[in-house]
Amino acid sequence: MWQYEKKLQYPIKIKKPNAKLAQVIASQYGGPDGELAASLRYLSQRFAMPYPELKGLLTDIGTEELAHLEMVGSIIYQLTKDLSIEEIKKSGFDTYFVDHTTGIYPASAAGVPFTAAYIQSKGDVITDLHENLAAEQKARTTYDNILRLCDDPDVRDAIKFLRQREVVHYQRFGEGLRLAQDRLNEKNFYSFNPSFDK
Amino acid sequence: MSERELLMKKLSGANFAALEMQLYLDTHKNDSKALKSMREYQHKAMEYKNEYEQKYGPITVNDPFGDSDYRWLNPPWPWENESELIK
Repeated sequence: MWQYEKKLQYPIKIKKPNAKLAQVIASQYGGPDGELAASLRYLSQRFAMPYPELKGLLTDIGTEELAHLEMVGSIIYQLTKDLSIEEIKKSGFDTYFVDHTTGIYPASAAGVPFTAAYIQSKGDVITDLHENLAAEQKARTTYDNILRLCDDPDVRDAIKFLRQREVVHYQRFGEGLRLAQDRLNEKNFYSFNPSFDK
Repeated sequence: MSERELLMKKLSGANFAALEMQLYLDTHKNDSKALKSMREYQHKAMEYKNEYEQKYGPITVNDPFGDSDYRWLNPPWPWENESELIK
């Protein structure tokens, strides 16, 4: 179970609304490599994890991803606060506004609603950990692209924090993969799925 | 930065350092130096959390300093920009 802490993992204090930027960053809320996909991926995969280290790692990183989801939601909330209709029309945010006003909705920057098709939970520790290594790099690239599109220092500060977490998670998943492989047949990691074959 | 924000920053910093050690320990469970470090940051975070909750309100709903008052609903919520609430 979870208990809510009424605080952000890292502070979000944005002074200037910017609807165009909000629309781009929304992809890390409900887009293909976003934080909702990340948390669901790890918190679903963990049930099939065969070793205590991996049960712990997926639980703990999955939980941190929920905190990141809240951070990204907070960024979008603050970027779209007190916008005028002129600003909404001018920025291209009108296509989001018509369906959601300034509510926070999980979709990609291009408007594709969140789908579980963004994640995989394969019930095989080697497969799932490789998925996660790739997922962390895809999220890191997306944050790099957001930094290329964003010059607001308040937003950049929070995005850099989130980007750095992808790098740390990648490192930890790599160590988790090594721990799993150490317990499997060194000649062929793939001959046996410890989550299923007995 | 307000005093409240400063204390929250200290709490978040200690929480973050403890989490970083926690993830490291998930894959290095026999590292006693890392374990000691995590415990120290967790302890520090607990102290800051107590101070924050006493002064400004609960972070978790079991509010040890709000016997007669349901302070859980008091602003700000985490996504709200504090400077904006003042105006």
